[in-house]
Amino acid sequence: MSIHMPLNEHRAIEDFQLSAHDDHLEPGDIILDLENVSLAFGGVKAINDISFNIKKGEVRAIIGPNGAGKTSMLNVINGFYHPQQGTITYRGEKRTAMQSTEAAKQGISRTFQNIALFKGMSTLDNIMTGRITLQNKNLFLQALWHGPAAKEDIEHRLVVEKIIDFLEIQHIRKTPVGRLPYGLQKRVELGRALAAEPALLLLDEPMAGMNLEEKEDMSRFILDVNSQFGTTIALIEHDMGVVMDISDRVVVLDYGRKIGDGSPEEVSNNQAVIDAYLGVSHD
Amino acid sequence: MSPEFLYFVETVLNGLMAGVMYSLVALGFVLIFKASGIFNFAQGVMALFAALTLVGLQTGQVPFSHLINAIFGTEIHHFGWTLPAFFAVLITLAIMVLFAYLFEAIVLKHLVNQEPIILFMATIGLAYFLEGFGDLMWGSDVKILDVGIPSGGSFWWEEVTRTWASEGSDYFGMYIDKLDVVAALVAVVLVIALTFFSKYTKMGRALRAVADDHQAAQSVGISLRTIWVLVWSISGFVALVAGIMWGAKSGVQFSLSLIALKALPVLILGGFTSIPGAIVGGLIIGVGEKLAELYVGPLVGGAIENWFAYVVALMFLLFRPQGLFGEKIIERV
Repeated sequence: MSIHMPLNEHRAIEDFQLSAHDDHLEPGDIILDLENVSLAFGGVKAINDISFNIKKGEVRAIIGPNGAGKTSMLNVINGFYHPQQGTITYRGEKRTAMQSTEAAKQGISRTFQNIALFKGMSTLDNIMTGRITLQNKNLFLQALWHGPAAKEDIEHRLVVEKIIDFLEIQHIRKTPVGRLPYGLQKRVELGRALAAEPALLLLDEPMAGMNLEEKEDMSRFILDVNSQFGTTIALIEHDMGVVMDISDRVVVLDYGRKIGDGSPEEVSNNQAVIDAYLGVSHD
Repeated sequence: MSPEFLYFVETVLNGLMAGVMYSLVALGFVLIFKASGIFNFAQGVMALFAALTLVGLQTGQVPFSHLINAIFGTEIHHFGWTLPAFFAVLITLAIMVLFAYLFEAIVLKHLVNQEPIILFMATIGLAYFLEGFGDLMWGSDVKILDVGIPSGGSFWWEEVTRTWASEGSDYFGMYIDKLDVVAALVAVVLVIALTFFSKYTKMGRALRAVADDHQAAQSVGISLRTIWVLVWSISGFVALVAGIMWGAKSGVQFSLSLIALKALPVLILGGFTSIPGAIVGGLIIGVGEKLAELYVGPLVGGAIENWFAYVVALMFLLFRPQGLFGEKIIERV
């Protein structure tokens, strides 16, 4: 099912917007607020009484040494884990044990530390799955009567093609993603998350394992997503240079506790943070 | 053409069509295994249950009549009406979807994130439950299933092929059962429909996504529970098709649930995760066992057909455990 797209319909990507999950919030309002959140696995405290917030339109970095609880934090935000204590408020509404599918429907998308793409499917199909929550829900009807669903599919396909243009991955549209090099897989995963037109985009180490050039590309895409679509982004990253360059505010975790929060400058001058990164012993 | 060659062709053709019948059962296994990693032991019983329900509805049998009669001392067995095959099939399909929904809600929902062996055990339980439930509901007598599929040998084909044999030979023409031809066509349509569904529809994409990575699928908003219900419904549908074909061929009887055992070597050959594999595997097993019976059978006293498939499967397990089309499992160390 290929769709021929005439050039004139293929609008410039500059006026392309991703705003399915638009809300009444103004840039700078708090979109996600975590208060005294704790998460434990048996006796292991992964997250210990952490509070911080994410404001609409910002790039918020979560940093910390290995095992600090960063990924657990993302898993809590997108509903994979349910914290035992604390409250999470998303767009002004308090959340109770929410499933990750529910989070996806409310406009929270994410990428994973160890790429979680659908390996057997093409780049195009992978990104198309990102739009599942935006497509109509008549599942069984669709299986029986294909016409209207096919038309709807074409509309979604147009958006996906624009995302593909935006991320400059036109040449691998039909390639099964399992065959792509690592850097490109990361980009496809970002594409799938973008396809859901998220209000809050969570990126788990988007630049891990990349070379300098790939990191620069990825940084550019993240900044473009943030400025062009106004998407709020929370990201985990280890490369301090990148973090300091692209993020507006940084929260620092260590051993499941919050040890710093503020602008990149403030955080990099914070003694507790410096200690954690230099490996000063904890007693 | 020499009669020997024509016998060979006839055997191959009949083998191919017997293989299609195995493939129909194997397809149901593949669908569930692909999407959820569960080996559904109950697939054969599902086919039996679907066929029982279909016959029961068609002939206007009163469900649970034995139970009702035993409790109330009544003597009711039939409503006294018959249902057109088309409606009976539709209602049976609806029942299979309802069954999928209930199984998800009552059993699978509570076993999320459990080991595959636990889920496998659950399907064994399901198999025995469904067998007993079907018995209680429709009775255990052998029933005749007639939904209007032509059956019996084709005389036309026999006449045509008789003229192919060389002059003066005593060749009587090829025997081909019309039912088998219909089954082959049905299988082709079924595979095309399933492929279309999984490639070009949103749910198909969601299904493949779940098969690839559960967590990632959830993160884009695919509900695993919806997918389970869908997958079990589809394999209930495939079970219905298999039940109709097998039921029309050999009557609806409880030994029908054992056809699942014949699907095992087919799956090992074709790979548990491949729809084309289920078809090709079925064809190879079908042709293989018929040819072995014809040429090797007389040397060892016959009855090769019964075990040939399992020996082939054993060979595959030794030399190519992932099957012809299955995904190779590469484990990092």
